[in-house]
Amino acid sequence: MITAERKPLEEIIEYIKPFKRILLLGCNECVTVCSAGGRKEVGLLASGLQMARLKSGTDIEIQQHTLERQCDPEYVEEIVSMIDGADAVLSMACGCGVQQLAMRYKEIPVFPAVNTKFMGASERQGVWAERCQGCGDCLLGITGGICPISRCAKQLMNGPCGGSTTGKCEISEDVDCAWQLIWDRLKALGLTERYLDIMPAKDWRSGGGSGPRKIIREDLAE
Amino acid sequence: MQNSKINQNQNNKVLVVGGGLGGIRTALDLAEAKKDVVLIDNDYTIGGLMTQLDRTFPTNNCDLCTIAPHLSESNREDHIELLTMTTVTNVTGEKGNFSVTLTSKPRYINLERCTACGDCLTHFPECVNFHPGLDHRAPTCMRYPQATPQAYSIDLEKCTDVQALVKICPARAINPDDMPIKRQIQCASIVLSPGASVFDPSHLDYLGYKNLPDVVTSLEYERILSASGPTGGKLICPSTGKQPKRVAWIQCIGSRGLQKEAGAYCSHACCMFALKEAIVTKERFQDDIETTIFYMDMRTFGKDYELYLNRAKNDYGVRFLRSRPHSILQPEGKTDLLLTYTKEDSTKQFEEEFDMVVLSTGFKTSEESRLLAQRVGIELNSDFFPITEEFNPVVTTKPGVYVAGTFEGPKDIPETMVQASAAACMAAADLPDIIDEPKELQEAPVERDVSLEEPKVGVFICDCGENIGGIVNVENLVAHAATLPYVAVAKAEGHGCSRTSMEDICQTIVEEGLNRVVIGGCSPRTHQEKFQDLLQKAGINRYLVDIANIRDQVTWVHSGKPKEAEAKAKELIAMSIASVVRAQPLTDHTLPMNKNVLVVGGGVTGMTASLKLAERGYQVYLAEKNDKLGGIANHLVKTLEGGDVQAYLSSMVEKVKSHKKIQVMTRALIVDHSGMPGMFTTGMQSGPQMFYKQIEHGITILATGAQSNRPDQYLLGKTPAVKTQLETQRYLFEHPDKVKQWENVVMIQCVGSRTPENPNCSRICCQNAIKNSLAILDLNPEARVFILYRDMRTYGFQEEYYQKARERGVIFVRYDLEKPPVVEEAGSQVDVTYYDTILGMDITVTADTLCLSTGMIADHDTNEELSRVFKLPRTEDGYFLEDHVKLRPVDMPVPGFFVAGTAHSPKLIRESVTQANAVAARAQTMLARDQISLGAATAKVDGKLCAACLICVRACPFNVPYINADGYSEIDPAKCHGCGMCVAECPAKAIQLMQFEDDRILAKVEQLFERITA
Amino acid sequence: MENFEPVIVAFCCHYCAYTAADMAGTQRLPYPANVKIIRIPCSGKIDTLHIVKAFEKGADGVYVAGCLEGDCHFKNGNVKAAKRVAYVQKYLEEIGLESERLEMVNISAGMGHRFAELASTMTEKIRKLGPSPVKAAAAL
Repeated sequence: MITAERKPLEEIIEYIKPFKRILLLGCNECVTVCSAGGRKEVGLLASGLQMARLKSGTDIEIQQHTLERQCDPEYVEEIVSMIDGADAVLSMACGCGVQQLAMRYKEIPVFPAVNTKFMGASERQGVWAERCQGCGDCLLGITGGICPISRCAKQLMNGPCGGSTTGKCEISEDVDCAWQLIWDRLKALGLTERYLDIMPAKDWRSGGGSGPRKIIREDLAE
Repeated sequence: MQNSKINQNQNNKVLVVGGGLGGIRTALDLAEAKKDVVLIDNDYTIGGLMTQLDRTFPTNNCDLCTIAPHLSESNREDHIELLTMTTVTNVTGEKGNFSVTLTSKPRYINLERCTACGDCLTHFPECVNFHPGLDHRAPTCMRYPQATPQAYSIDLEKCTDVQALVKICPARAINPDDMPIKRQIQCASIVLSPGASVFDPSHLDYLGYKNLPDVVTSLEYERILSASGPTGGKLICPSTGKQPKRVAWIQCIGSRGLQKEAGAYCSHACCMFALKEAIVTKERFQDDIETTIFYMDMRTFGKDYELYLNRAKNDYGVRFLRSRPHSILQPEGKTDLLLTYTKEDSTKQFEEEFDMVVLSTGFKTSEESRLLAQRVGIELNSDFFPITEEFNPVVTTKPGVYVAGTFEGPKDIPETMVQASAAACMAAADLPDIIDEPKELQEAPVERDVSLEEPKVGVFICDCGENIGGIVNVENLVAHAATLPYVAVAKAEGHGCSRTSMEDICQTIVEEGLNRVVIGGCSPRTHQEKFQDLLQKAGINRYLVDIANIRDQVTWVHSGKPKEAEAKAKELIAMSIASVVRAQPLTDHTLPMNKNVLVVGGGVTGMTASLKLAERGYQVYLAEKNDKLGGIANHLVKTLEGGDVQAYLSSMVEKVKSHKKIQVMTRALIVDHSGMPGMFTTGMQSGPQMFYKQIEHGITILATGAQSNRPDQYLLGKTPAVKTQLETQRYLFEHPDKVKQWENVVMIQCVGSRTPENPNCSRICCQNAIKNSLAILDLNPEARVFILYRDMRTYGFQEEYYQKARERGVIFVRYDLEKPPVVEEAGSQVDVTYYDTILGMDITVTADTLCLSTGMIADHDTNEELSRVFKLPRTEDGYFLEDHVKLRPVDMPVPGFFVAGTAHSPKLIRESVTQANAVAARAQTMLARDQISLGAATAKVDGKLCAACLICVRACPFNVPYINADGYSEIDPAKCHGCGMCVAECPAKAIQLMQFEDDRILAKVEQLFERITA
Repeated sequence: MENFEPVIVAFCCHYCAYTAADMAGTQRLPYPANVKIIRIPCSGKIDTLHIVKAFEKGADGVYVAGCLEGDCHFKNGNVKAAKRVAYVQKYLEEIGLESERLEMVNISAGMGHRFAELASTMTEKIRKLGPSPVKAAAAL
């Protein structure tokens, strides 16, 4: 899933400073799952903004709504009637959702209320960790199911660097060395000979190196 | 119709004597199984000893919190007639047809009228009965807020001005002309559970208890620690009022035959009791207090109790001294208490001063209960405890009379609870089969559908005598409430909970067509249920009421500030109104009950439970994984008391096999399981062909037993001279001639138990060693028997056999875990070398036989598999974990599951049989119902809002929510405990907890601040 | 400001804190009327949103009261509640409210004394902090 985190309240307040009627939009997908922008967070943010504005002595009216998914035009269409009553939109969805809104509703400013972080997996309740950088050319099949691109600080392709000690990365004791994990896993799978193959330099074009990417399914695309 | 006629002619009641925790449990188990009970207690409230405790081991829970629900339940239950201040004066007749004379002392208070307002106590404190622990009058003679019945009792002898006293009561409940009442009741069986007294050390002048105020009993210390005690929970020395810095406990006061008038038995619970007190003390004051326990043997043999001992030692720094100080002295002019003692490994005398000394006093039968035994006609042993059946300790010498709790013998709370349920099972078996008339159905009127109606609220405000009305003006509250939205009726109700007011409220609801009710009165904790029942009676859903607690949380605590109190009362009432208009009718979740029983495990425990339930007419499926019934008992010969295990076992196996209602499946392996409490489906493979079949059943009893441990230690299995105690017993039985040639026999205790790998005590080994050593000496009086032990844990009456073994010359030598004995092969014999602390040197004994007390370990493979299939929790050492270690020892956390015998923890046959009977009683409380009611306070998911994020799945402490086939979270109301944790964490706001819905809580918040934001 | 009477919401768990409050009543232990109790089944039911809403509506102080650690009737509700309270405390600071206005406390059912004490100290603390800036602004 895409993970996100609420922006500092101060930053959000600054964005919406000139506006009185705010449409605050949550998204019931990834940002709900990572507790950053679902119905609950929308409520919390609305309440916080209300208080902050009360304190500063400026009026604010907040309409709260949560869309099934902000990155799909049909769902975004749902709020067409609410837009009229708003001076600005504040979106708690990931960057995709914010842009989808901005594209559709050109006449009204749309602000992000969360920082979109990474594609990650939940490790346990309340903890999400980066697992994928969308390089467009998945290597997991040869690296024992552990991604050196998203999990090695240096994105090394051929074994660990000199900073790997006792299985941990030199950037922090809390970060596992991805190559240690890969080695342990290959060993468990009895595939250590793979480690001996030198991987050629990665072609980063598929990972956005040659500009914005698009997927077109010809059988589906209209 | 015909049935009910027959019933009236029969004796279909059980008399339960004693309203302590055990008696309440017995009564509740019977009542829930729809049997009528008369519960009597000689005190003026029920609850017994436990209500005086501060906290209970091993969870250190607050006691009142744990027991309170049981107390009020017992008062509510339709099948229980509760008589306080009542004793048995005569018994005639026999099993199935007893006639009992009961005498009740006058309470001088009319229970129907008393509202427990406390005015009598305020004005005439000395005239109100109150007698738990240490100091009288403190802090409230209610004993505790949850007292049942909620009423005072007057000591008329102490009253000088009766007329004034009568006048002070606003409810006119005091009746000085109250008379003793004698009544005759018919009953089929009797359960005696009057408890025991605590040993009174007053006559032991060398302990100074009588003269030195800072020498207290453990119960008194408990009262000092208790928040509801005389010092309000402040730990102080009675003499100086200062917090003590050095507290000592002396164990075995009044137990193990050590003092004048002491019992010969071990009192079973005092070691844990002292540990708890020391831990709680350390918890509260840490390094400010030193705690020292003087003991002979630490007897922490119960489930996980050894871990508690280790915690006391290692985590809390409680100091343990194996020593018996002879006396407690107070040097002239000092407040310190002086103890003189020696240590185990020296002959030197040590002197040490303490600020407070706690005497761990044991149990003792009271004169009163001896008299009771005499009146009922049961025989007592030399310690004045009842003589009970060999394999069933709740059965007395008189048919139809059963015993439980500390009256039967010294014990702790969990074992009391088990015996109480077991006694309920035995007593119920003496009753005729009754087809219960579904009373509720006749009473409950049809519920009006109010879901589409505009809210129409009735507000009823109590003055509760002076309690509310004396501080605030109830008329003002009424007038204010009447102005609020949706309020159709607002009126003052006097004592809202009195019969007349209840009738008035009911009538108002009907006449005015109200669909919501707010009561301004006392705590919903105690009264919600009562008003819910009232709504039901008035024909509207029972969940459409909200109670504003304007007594306990307003007038009682803000009496000095009447203006503020009135404003707050108005606010709380307004909050309740705002909340109740959002309340929706709820239904209690119900399920049809499947009345078949699956018993897993065909040992003594499983067979006993099966027989008890089959005899009551329930179909039982008994699954045993081996090809033979009997379990571990197949290897036993005799009990410590001399009971013939094999004879007992074979007759039981015969009965089980021939019972029409029991289907035995051997070589059975449980493979799958589904459904919910009351309607389970379990799949198993059984028989030589491993044939698969499914069984439908309503409840499941786990009696899978444990395994005898065989650690690879001390040459076990390497030479025939080394045997386990179990093997030794068989050997004694089969080869008596060889035993006659033995010269030296050594036994080593705690082999494979109480070690870092298996930290718990196996409970059975000490008595096993004693049993076998006595048997050896019977065969060969010349043999020298050495028992190398760490603590001799011959609890209860086993202590007397321990003493007998010492008298017969068995040599007991202590060893430490750091210095275990060393065993070496010596031809057909073995050399056992141990360190003798007194001589300070190693001693080697060449033994013909070395018996290892290897104890028990959990059957890990079986339990792990079953806990996976049934989703049941286990302890760290692999036994099944019960729902509440104290109060629900045989109920599993998953409703519909019960556990008994050694699958729960190591125990003796008698104890296993008792647990088996207890689960049979607990099972019957469920089996007696046609439907299972699951309450209404459960969490409910709105699938349309759910993001299937799994947060609720992870947040639930009971693993109830799951993502269903439609892709959203589902919460089974049958399993939901109603805590609301999932609701609070759901990021999509897709879950609501019924009765505590978000909009109702927010409505309260908003209402509270309405005047501020408006 | 001299006559400032704070309004404090106490979310109390049914089994322990609410019972302790009743106990304080039974023992007639006075505490300030500023504290208004809202009963919840378990402190683990406390919703961050409900706490924030209470402040938005004008509460000067809020506290969540659960069982003593290890005593929760639902295993760990009080531990979860404490974490949520800590989270909201940080959020309050972001909004510009003193985090001291919110607190988590643990009480057992028998501790009537402690309940009354806590209610008093909490009220005193909030009295010293003065009215919630949110409420003060709304009143203008």
